Amino acid sequence: MIRIEGLTILLKTFAISDLYIEIEEGAFHFLLGPTGSGKTLILESIIGLHQPKTGKIWIGEKEIQNLPPEKREISYVPQDLALFPHLTVKENILYGIKAQNHPLKVYEGYVESLIQVMKIGHLLERFPTNLSGGEKKRVALLRALAPKPKLLLLDEPLSGLDPSIKFEIQQLLKTLLSSFHPTILCVSHDFEEAFLLGDKMTLFIDGKVEQVGKRDDIFLKPKTKKVAQFLGLRNLYRGKILGKDDCVERSQFEINGLRFSIPNSACQSRMETGREADLYIRPEEVMILRKGKPIKESLKRNIFMGNIKDILSRGRHHSVFFQEMGGNISFEISIPNYAFRNLDLSVGKQVDVALRDESFWVME
Amino acid sequence: MAFRYTMIGAAICIFIFYFGLLASLLFSTNLGGFWEALTHPSTLFSIRLSLMAATLATLFSVLVGLPSAYALSRFQFKGKQIVDTFLEIPIIMSPIALGASFLVFFNTPLGEVIQRKGISFVFEFPGIILAQFATIAGLATRLMKASLDEISPRYEAVARSLGSSSWQAFYRITLPLSFRGLLASVILAWAKAIGEFGATVTLAGAMPRKTETMPIAIFTALASANIEKTIVLILLLIFLGLVALYAVRFTGKMVRYD
Repeated sequence: MIRIEGLTILLKTFAISDLYIEIEEGAFHFLLGPTGSGKTLILESIIGLHQPKTGKIWIGEKEIQNLPPEKREISYVPQDLALFPHLTVKENILYGIKAQNHPLKVYEGYVESLIQVMKIGHLLERFPTNLSGGEKKRVALLRALAPKPKLLLLDEPLSGLDPSIKFEIQQLLKTLLSSFHPTILCVSHDFEEAFLLGDKMTLFIDGKVEQVGKRDDIFLKPKTKKVAQFLGLRNLYRGKILGKDDCVERSQFEINGLRFSIPNSACQSRMETGREADLYIRPEEVMILRKGKPIKESLKRNIFMGNIKDILSRGRHHSVFFQEMGGNISFEISIPNYAFRNLDLSVGKQVDVALRDESFWVME
Repeated sequence: MAFRYTMIGAAICIFIFYFGLLASLLFSTNLGGFWEALTHPSTLFSIRLSLMAATLATLFSVLVGLPSAYALSRFQFKGKQIVDTFLEIPIIMSPIALGASFLVFFNTPLGEVIQRKGISFVFEFPGIILAQFATIAGLATRLMKASLDEISPRYEAVARSLGSSSWQAFYRITLPLSFRGLLASVILAWAKAIGEFGATVTLAGAMPRKTETMPIAIFTALASANIEKTIVLILLLIFLGLVALYAVRFTGKMVRYD
């Protein structure tokens, strides 16, 4: 178990206060935050290159914040990889083992298997300048893993790569995780990257932890509007909780005079009457109703009539921009291509939409 | 086209200007006199003295300049800007003023103690080294800093995370990566030291067979109208300078990682 407790960094331009991260052994933990939020500085503090104002770092039972970087057993792969250009791939890989005076023979089998998994056996005698972007990433990962660190730190591992190489590295990281079980802390500003790789995430915005949790929980149930905005979620509205609906487990939520019936389970905290809150309508859970088709009883609570204002093709799906008839609210609906073709939609067309219970999420 | 010709013309003019100057030296001497002046014991002494003093002064500037350059390149500390500015002192201060400052210093109580109980600098061989060191230390530091600035500190960060101490990361990673630039800095500093005149003559004097370096020998030979010796020494200095410059260019091609 890796624990970072109360890490506080104060700089002229920004401050990071009281950061807490807990990483299970063998887990891939993401520290997600916007660009320029100090993520790299946090990594440098964990490695020991930057002295934080306060904070403790534990690796198992060992407190390491006062140790120099070379004694911490934490490997680091920076965004620019920093492969040593004057050393061959093989020398780069063995650098850590030699620097830590590990017996080469003991590590031989382990390094061999890493080389096989990374598929870089044919590159060992080359210099890094002769490698492609993907090959460099693989070598940098291998170099960091070779001395068997207690924690591996990755700084935006998939940034700046072509989609095909991105996929390749992503698959490779998954293989590494399943075969060698390294404990990884990865910083990134890209939620997609985190979604593809991470088990657990710490969302870090404006120098503070906004949310910690499993990736699906964060994506489906953002704690605050700030988190939702960072995740790039659309359809966010400020409204008011009006009180209990006809059913005990539901509440009424009002936005610009328009009322929604929302299950209490779709609220991040208790549905307190009179409280203002943010509502997130999940675009992929909104249905456009087909004329003449029977409607399920559960859908009848939140049906709205309106017009289609715009349609955008996004490759794998279509975004339909819907405006409620009274002009009180407009939101985006995400429709898979096959459904879009069957619906015969066009800009200006009048449609009825039904909001499933799953389409609501109320935040603090 | 006129623009292109104007620019290239200016470059050719500079070349003709310097080349003409050198050609005039060759025109004013003959082979017999040239050889005699070159093999004269006092000329050979000046050559030996200059090579030795410049090499030692360069060595000392590297010993002090390299750690200073590293500190200025990598660390933030109080007074960094002031230290950085003071590296320019030998550039803004005339060499004679630099030498005169040393003479004044060695007349202070501390200077006198150093002269009496430590090393004697005034009008002595160590004085040549000190004068040349003072002239080139700032320059060497500035040039070495520029070389170190080109190497990302990230390499050292990674090396340290892999288990190297800061010293190990420096000599295993930063030093080899900046080697070309550092070597070029050393060569340029050496070339500047070997041609140094003002500070050396002021502090160490112009004593034949004692403190008479090549530039000082040029001055004294010219003063005594020994044109052959003057030309020999000038051509030798130019030769050494050109070799140094070629060596600097060569360092740019010598290390390739592919």
